[in-house]
Amino acid sequence: MLLILPIALLSAYTWLPGLLTGQGEPLQILALALAWLVFNALFVLMLTTGHTHRYRSVLFILIAVALPLDFIPWMIKTYGSMMLTDDIMFSGGASFCPLTMPMIIIPALLKRVVIFPGELLPTGAHGAFSVMFIIWVAASLALGRGWCSWGCFYGGWDELFSRLPKRPLIKDKQIDRRWIYLPFAVLLAIVLLSAIAFQPIYCEWLCPFKIVTEFQAPATILAIVQIAIFVTLFIGLVIVLPLLTKRRIQCGLFCPFGAMQSFLNKINIFEVRIDPDKCSQCKRCIRECPTFSMNESSLESGKPLMTCTRCAQCIDACPEGAISYHIKGTSLKASPAVARALFLYPAFLLMGIIGLGTVGMGLWRIFKLITTGSML
Amino acid sequence: MQGFLLGLANGTTCLVFCAPALIPFLMHEGQTVRQNLGTLVKFLGGRMGGYLLFGLLAWATGSLLLQAVGFQGLVIGAAYVGLAALLLVAVLRKKAPAQGACAFEGARARLSRWPALLPVGMGFLAGLKVCPPLLLAFTDAASTGSLAGSLVFFLAFFLGTSVYFVPIPFLGMFRRVSALQIVGKFAAVIVALYYLYAGILLCAGGIL
Repeated sequence: MLLILPIALLSAYTWLPGLLTGQGEPLQILALALAWLVFNALFVLMLTTGHTHRYRSVLFILIAVALPLDFIPWMIKTYGSMMLTDDIMFSGGASFCPLTMPMIIIPALLKRVVIFPGELLPTGAHGAFSVMFIIWVAASLALGRGWCSWGCFYGGWDELFSRLPKRPLIKDKQIDRRWIYLPFAVLLAIVLLSAIAFQPIYCEWLCPFKIVTEFQAPATILAIVQIAIFVTLFIGLVIVLPLLTKRRIQCGLFCPFGAMQSFLNKINIFEVRIDPDKCSQCKRCIRECPTFSMNESSLESGKPLMTCTRCAQCIDACPEGAISYHIKGTSLKASPAVARALFLYPAFLLMGIIGLGTVGMGLWRIFKLITTGSML
Repeated sequence: MQGFLLGLANGTTCLVFCAPALIPFLMHEGQTVRQNLGTLVKFLGGRMGGYLLFGLLAWATGSLLLQAVGFQGLVIGAAYVGLAALLLVAVLRKKAPAQGACAFEGARARLSRWPALLPVGMGFLAGLKVCPPLLLAFTDAASTGSLAGSLVFFLAFFLGTSVYFVPIPFLGMFRRVSALQIVGKFAAVIVALYYLYAGILLCAGGIL
């Protein structure tokens, strides 16, 4: 109860002030309150049942699906379309996306310029650099790559499609494990190339999620090619391959932001550990891990690979209860329940900050559609 | 001295322009610091060749060449395409065996040693990429008016920019991390594809 209350109170900021002051659209307040209720109910279930992944996954998918439901109508209302024109970009109207973070580092160091056509301080667009940067730093310090399963507002898409089939059509043994290094290569390439081109190369050419948010207007052949690449990558990496493999292929085998977060796994206090005394070597965790972060060597070392997103799928799946969240520097036998609660708190807080408003606003757009016939 | 200072002042930009080809290549090779230093010297040697060619052109044409319509696009585009091709060859070729245990393997190793020239070629083409500091150097070198002056200017410019490449061979300290070779290979292919696309686009812009 002590753990639930602060989260419930903190997350009520989305709708409670509107209700108390009487300002704001009633339908919007209702949608936000409903989202708050769902979030907190699932947090209660997470704490009381001991299942983490089951409830996290529901929220994670909800956030990803809700984002375009709110964002695209907002784009259409604000700019007339979900396509960004040169004018919008030159005026800094693009919403800042955390995936840009690794690409802005070198140009920012060399020229003190943020190579993204967004705004620095929040003035009305969906994401301002300063806000996203603070959230990203705090989340990375607290959770490392936990961002990818608790804070990313895109990852729910491939989680959704990876959960749909009962069994994978492409078996684990058929996947060459060398592909797990591809995100690091993409990261290296885009960081180096963005410094030359002075533009975020990944956003310009390789981001599949442009399709569910915003993209450059197809005014030139170049822009048409870019859109074709976005569509192909979304269908391939986010829909088809997750359906075939039951894995989060975009997150595990392509996303450069995830690769960068993997390094940050080293600098925070939480980790996932395997108790060798309890482990029966059934290898279910290897088969279940959606991001290829468990392998034979993980079982030997008692740790997943550095790419672990702390999604807890392996923790929930382990029949022996041998896998648990753990605080670095403490004994493996020290209360896993305490470590889990200490991890869940910041993780859920991040999920709430990133997703609660998104889900509420997405719900509000649906309510608007039902009541007025328009989502705008 | 002016060329050296110009190179020193703008060397980070030159490093940024060369790093996408050089770093993935060195990572893929997985060599020691000493071997990396050798590769870097070859790369820089090639780059110096590119710069001296510019010095020659600066003397021969003055600033007129820079004003030629499509010149920059064509040169950079061709350099990009060439660099992409070399990078692909460099990382997709079969590596030579480390030691030739028998006569046959020794011959095979000698045969496959020709890629030792790859870093030279890559350096040369990287040197031809007309980056902003190079344009500055071109204008300054053209103003010297003599062949020797122009070449010396570019040589000094090259030395000034090369200072920033010194830390790169230390990548060899991580050569035991075998994953880095795979990452380097994948990254080189991505960079090569980007160069290929950018090169074709620039050439088309220069011709049309």
